[in-house]
Amino acid sequence: MIDRRLFTYFDWATLTIVLALVLVGFASVYSATHIHMPGIYKKDIYWVIIGSVLMFTAIILNYGFLERSAYFIYGGSILILISVFFIGSSFSGAKRWISFGFFTLQPSELAKLALIIILAKYFSAKDAPQKGLELKDLAVPGLLMIIPFLLIAKQPDLGTGIILWMIFWSMAFMAKIRTRVIIGLGVVFGALAPIGWMFLKDYQKARLTSFLNPDADPLGSGYHIMQSKIAIGSGGVFGKGFMEGTQGKLMFLPEHHTDFIFAVLAEEWGLIGSMLVVGLFLSLILSGLNTANTAKDRFGFLLAFGISSMFFWQAAINLGMVSGVLPVVGVPLPFLSYGGSFLITSMIAAGLLLNIKMRRFIF
Amino acid sequence: MKPKKKKPESSLKVRVTVVLGFFLVFFSAIFFRAFQLQVLDRDSLQHLAMKQHRKTINIQSKRGDIYDRNLKELAVSIEVDSVFAQSGKVENPREVSKALAPVLGMNMFELEKKLKTGTFVWLKRQVDLNEEQRKLVTSFEGVGIVKESRRFYPNRQLASNIIGFTGLDSNGLEGVERHYDNILKGSSVKIVGDKDAMGRMLLFEDLDKKVPVQSMVVELTIDKNIQYITEKALKKAVEDANAKGGTAIVMDPVTGEILAMASQPTFDPNDVKKFDASQWKNKSITDAFEPGSIFKLFLISAALEEGIVKIKDSIFCENGNYRVSDRVFHDHIGYGWLTVPLIMKYSSNIGSAKIGEKLGKAQLYRYVKAFGFGTKTGVDLPGEATGSFMHYSKWSNVTLHTVSFGQGVSATGVQLVTAMSAIANGGFIVKPYVVKSIKDSSGKVISESNPTIVRRIISEDTARKVTDMLIEVTKQGGTGTKAAIEGFDVAGKTGTAQKPDFKHGGYASGAYMASFMGYVPAKNPRLAILVSIDEPRGEYYGGLVSAPAFKEIAQESLSYLGVFPEKQDGMPKVQYIKNTIQPEPVNELEEAEVASPDPLRPMAIPDFTGKTVRAVLRMARERSFEVAVVGSGRAVSQKPAPGSSIPEKGPVVVTFQ
Repeated sequence: MIDRRLFTYFDWATLTIVLALVLVGFASVYSATHIHMPGIYKKDIYWVIIGSVLMFTAIILNYGFLERSAYFIYGGSILILISVFFIGSSFSGAKRWISFGFFTLQPSELAKLALIIILAKYFSAKDAPQKGLELKDLAVPGLLMIIPFLLIAKQPDLGTGIILWMIFWSMAFMAKIRTRVIIGLGVVFGALAPIGWMFLKDYQKARLTSFLNPDADPLGSGYHIMQSKIAIGSGGVFGKGFMEGTQGKLMFLPEHHTDFIFAVLAEEWGLIGSMLVVGLFLSLILSGLNTANTAKDRFGFLLAFGISSMFFWQAAINLGMVSGVLPVVGVPLPFLSYGGSFLITSMIAAGLLLNIKMRRFIF
Repeated sequence: MKPKKKKPESSLKVRVTVVLGFFLVFFSAIFFRAFQLQVLDRDSLQHLAMKQHRKTINIQSKRGDIYDRNLKELAVSIEVDSVFAQSGKVENPREVSKALAPVLGMNMFELEKKLKTGTFVWLKRQVDLNEEQRKLVTSFEGVGIVKESRRFYPNRQLASNIIGFTGLDSNGLEGVERHYDNILKGSSVKIVGDKDAMGRMLLFEDLDKKVPVQSMVVELTIDKNIQYITEKALKKAVEDANAKGGTAIVMDPVTGEILAMASQPTFDPNDVKKFDASQWKNKSITDAFEPGSIFKLFLISAALEEGIVKIKDSIFCENGNYRVSDRVFHDHIGYGWLTVPLIMKYSSNIGSAKIGEKLGKAQLYRYVKAFGFGTKTGVDLPGEATGSFMHYSKWSNVTLHTVSFGQGVSATGVQLVTAMSAIANGGFIVKPYVVKSIKDSSGKVISESNPTIVRRIISEDTARKVTDMLIEVTKQGGTGTKAAIEGFDVAGKTGTAQKPDFKHGGYASGAYMASFMGYVPAKNPRLAILVSIDEPRGEYYGGLVSAPAFKEIAQESLSYLGVFPEKQDGMPKVQYIKNTIQPEPVNELEEAEVASPDPLRPMAIPDFTGKTVRAVLRMARERSFEVAVVGSGRAVSQKPAPGSSIPEKGPVVVTFQ
């Protein structure tokens, strides 16, 4: 199974990018939590170790194995999601976790990977018509996405739910959809949006609109965004220095070690640091696209693309939300935001990218 | 494994390119956004951040101590503990408050409430803790002790009206404590810290190590013993007369140093809250009153100086009834012809009014002004009153007469003593002061007050003549015999003034201010003393009510100072001030222009020859007369001539070229 050629084709650059992001993530979490929540960064050490082991596994196992066991993986993940409703533990109003004593698992994270694998399997097995998929061709894969989406939305975990949608449409687009279907769907969603808006509750509306004008209510719905902007902006060009940030450390910035970790980083490392991290993400995603493009088979192509699109949407939505250009929807930043299951999922996903890349010439 | 070969698809490339473009656009937007926040909006966002988390606490150094002229302690700061909490750090407020309540002498629930509030909070300030209690207090996380200084006045009410007192934050609220607050306060250290979103404070430095120790030592001109003598005598006089209150001042007439200053009723600065706020004042400085007959000595000084009357001149005193326009003035005994010294000795109002008439409005006005009335003395204590003395252009038909015997003008005690000191010391108005020197903790002198001559007002000769008259006041037949001290010549003057009725206008019936003012030894004066008793009941004459207190203060102070009777004649006794101190020049330029006053007639018209217009105007203003300026350049001639009195009507004409 271990072929010497695998080393020849191994993408050391991408591995370095991933490890750099993990390291930056740990440093930021440490800085944000060492005063008030020292337990957090200590746990993060274990997550990094576990994540590294699983990433290594994800690299060396031939990804063809995933193609064969796609339905088992998918089915398993659905079962775990259902079990959350029965044995899950609640935290601040949401039931998202299953506790295993010394650690807790967030099944919705694993569901993202399971969805990418099953969709890659489905779209690669089914040859698309010459002109692309019709609406009816999207029914089955759509169902595959809707089931975990509903389970996750019910928890509730809107952020992860949105990511599932984005992954689905990205992969479907890459599998080729008929142009007129794309246009038609665009028109329908465009028309439905105002109707859906009317069904939203007031606090949900507030959350969606406050990013447009956070100053209107800086202590209420605009608080997250205002604090995040203050943290990022006060970092300036060169930042306040590692562990010298005030807004995150002193708890003005809510969820500073999870969703808003980028604000902590930007405060301490300034424009230079944030550019560097954004640059790392861009490199990772472009490398993912390149992996997809050079993949030896259609499954690998779709798998790599699915993973890349997952990274892209998570990074894009999180950065947009943290910098105040998108509504706060609760999407964490891969590798940086604290969260065990999230880190492990991201590292496995990165491992799969490396896996696909190094096997591109091995049939 | 059955590899499915990827089919090359032309539209796939398009899709990949579309996705790639999409990604790049999105990331560009993020790059731009970061630039916008971190470069363009940086300043305003940094300001917002600072406002949220920065917090500063001020810690003061130990407050400076106050001593009397012999370095006896008057006000000291003792180090006490103040217990604070950084409430966010306190883990179990209930337990902590239970343990600390008995130590701090506080209610447990009150303490617990404090422990739960906000950020940095004082639990109890200025408590005395022993070593064991201190250990207990600091054993709790988030609770700490800072050394603070608490003011302590070891002599209780002694000199309290001069010293004043401080508030809880060691800021001077009255007296020397207030006037010299900036110096006594010493340096302060700003301790900067960050607070977190819950208001919990994180200090960058250790509180204990940063507290500054440097403190100043303020030495007063007050003599604790003379102060004690004065307060005791004043208290007795007030009690004996059943009076509302009273004030007494003891000043060195040569230097202007205030040796004692007492007010009744007084207060204990260690416990100010127990006393009415009106008792905190130093009434010798803050309250102006109509001086009454003691004012006659300034009138007679002016008249003698101007040569309007001579010692031997007799004035008809109208047998006790003298009508001027619609008023009739009285003497309490009707006198016929009296010489000037006898007018002083018997304190004749009519005689004084007539001398005033001779002197004229303009001259009386400028002498009274030059003696310092209607102007603050500049004593280094807070809240000095100006008193009221109107310009003569606003006087009524009788103001000239009433001012002559001390009505229609009001003055503070310190103004009166300062003015009288000019007669005692041979003609010099000196500036009164209470702080002698300020030293730092290592003993280095930071500032020192020296006697300051404000101006010269009368000649030595006039001063000597007035002193002789004032000695007669305390001799057989005078109004102030009760002030006489065996073995010493005492120069003095009584005064009994009706108090104005502020509600109904005019004078209140039965409300008097009884004063005695004088200096001893008359011809070599060491002490200038004023005693005023406010609203005595029963006897109300200054000669009866205040003179005994004057005598007690003077006698005991002289014996404490070691001044013994010396009655030998023929020796020069008055040690004139001009030999010891010189006026401080304002600046070099002006020094050249100030002609040293003619010791014979300091208030006469000076020689303006060669002076600039500006200098001439200033010299005239100092002596309260008017000049008419003709031409410009340097003064070449003047009318009247130098050394003569000011003209009865019209200005002094000075021609410039």
